[in-house]
Amino acid sequence: MTNSTPAASAAPRPLDELVRIARTERIATGRRAADAIVLENLTKTYQDGTEAVRGISLRVASGEAFGILGPNGAGKSTTIGMLGTLVKPTAGRARVAGFDVAAEPAAVRRRIGFAMQQAGVDDFATPKELMVLQGRLHGLPKHEANLRAGLLLQVIGLEEEAGRRLATLSGGTKRRVDLAASLMHLPPILFLDEPTEGLDPRSRSGIWDTLDQLRRQLGVTLVLSTHYMEEGDRLCRRIAIIDRGNVVAEGAPAELKASVGRDASLEDVYLHYTGRTFDDTRRAA
Amino acid sequence: MTAATQTLLLAQRALVQFPRNPILLGFSLMPVLIMYLVFGGLFEGVTQLPGFPTDNYFEYLAPTAVLLATVPGIGNAGVALAADFQNGYFHKLLTTPTSVGAVMLGRLIGDCVRLAVQAALVLLLAIALGAHVATGVPGALLMIAMGTLLGIVTFGAISANLAIRTRDAAAVQAIQPMAFMLIFLTSAYQSTDHIDSAVLRTIIELNPAEHVLRPMRELMLSGYDWGEIGTGFLAIAALGMLALPLTARNYRRAYS
Repeated sequence: MTNSTPAASAAPRPLDELVRIARTERIATGRRAADAIVLENLTKTYQDGTEAVRGISLRVASGEAFGILGPNGAGKSTTIGMLGTLVKPTAGRARVAGFDVAAEPAAVRRRIGFAMQQAGVDDFATPKELMVLQGRLHGLPKHEANLRAGLLLQVIGLEEEAGRRLATLSGGTKRRVDLAASLMHLPPILFLDEPTEGLDPRSRSGIWDTLDQLRRQLGVTLVLSTHYMEEGDRLCRRIAIIDRGNVVAEGAPAELKASVGRDASLEDVYLHYTGRTFDDTRRAA
Repeated sequence: MTAATQTLLLAQRALVQFPRNPILLGFSLMPVLIMYLVFGGLFEGVTQLPGFPTDNYFEYLAPTAVLLATVPGIGNAGVALAADFQNGYFHKLLTTPTSVGAVMLGRLIGDCVRLAVQAALVLLLAIALGAHVATGVPGALLMIAMGTLLGIVTFGAISANLAIRTRDAAAVQAIQPMAFMLIFLTSAYQSTDHIDSAVLRTIIELNPAEHVLRPMRELMLSGYDWGEIGTGFLAIAALGMLALPLTARNYRRAYS
């Protein structure tokens, strides 16, 4: 008989270990603020004159899961891009973790994770290398970055793929790696731009489970943009429906649906507030 | 974490990539070696011309081969940058507290190390063919440094700007042959004294690459001509002063 069984059972689960690290070493949420994210009349007009976002105002509480829903071209990615400091607002302001996204982008970046619509990965790297580099760029020492990458790979169930080139992995797997890389510095706020776009239902469900688990155990504030109504319904405590750069409805999914009618879906809510179906808008785009 | 550490981490990332892409390593060096061997053999007779600075044409051609390795070769940095734009990794890096400058410089430094190794291989081939570096190892290193810096401020900058504007690796790749024009319009294959066309001589004189190639050739054939070396570095600095603000402006216009 070996003594491996008791030792294995005594070892902390990877997520528990990450929670322990987060409690002791995670960067502070930021300046004391009631809301993790505040948007005030946030606007973006691109140089070609396209008004992508037309004065959005929103608040997201710490630890909340908030969804920005709308069809393609509604302004979701631009909004989330501004919050992630990747797109400069042309008017209005946004504060993330108490820091202004335009004036203090570096302070914001230290406190956010960002998983892109297009899995932002380097195909020549392995998942572990990619995650370690991401952690190092956030200032983690090498051994700490290696430790966290190992734990996160276990959490997303990719230990066996840790040393394989990303070019050889599927789109869904790359998404999970991208998501895990966004969590290397254990950010208090996580932005997800269309996190399951183009994935099959099984992969989508896998990502939802992971996100649920991370939010509950790590207490991350989650902001996701999506055009899948089901995704908003499943993951978010509150949602904002965006149409042509404006917020047309905001609230808890159940409340919004109830406001439209019995047995209404979020699709019906969209139709109610815009006069168009999602498909109409998609076709027009 | 300082910007310098971030730049080095990103340069390291580029260096790790190269051995994983043997096609890039092979095909970026192969044309240079073939051109060196073919032109060296074809134009060997040029050394018989009165006043030609050496009787070994491979020796004359070695600095040209260094430029052929470094100037078009740096275009790969632009191709890689465009690929990072295309697959979203560039923006992923920008969600960390890393500056745009560190991302670009890291890539360039990684490619510069690769090019310096490739240029050193070219010089070793030249030595194997009987050439002699008059200034020894320090001169050879200076030659490689000048060639690499010229690559950065000319084709490196052009390809980076194209990557920013087009975000298309294929478009950046397509302009790579233009880099050869920059080198062909110099005294790369023939000393200017032996070129009949006054127009061509004027074009060569106006080409900044010529002012970098000349001191490199001096380092190869005769010794340190500090006046020429200074002019070479001035030409590089002047091009850099044009290239850097242009790149920053293009980046701002594309992503603000």
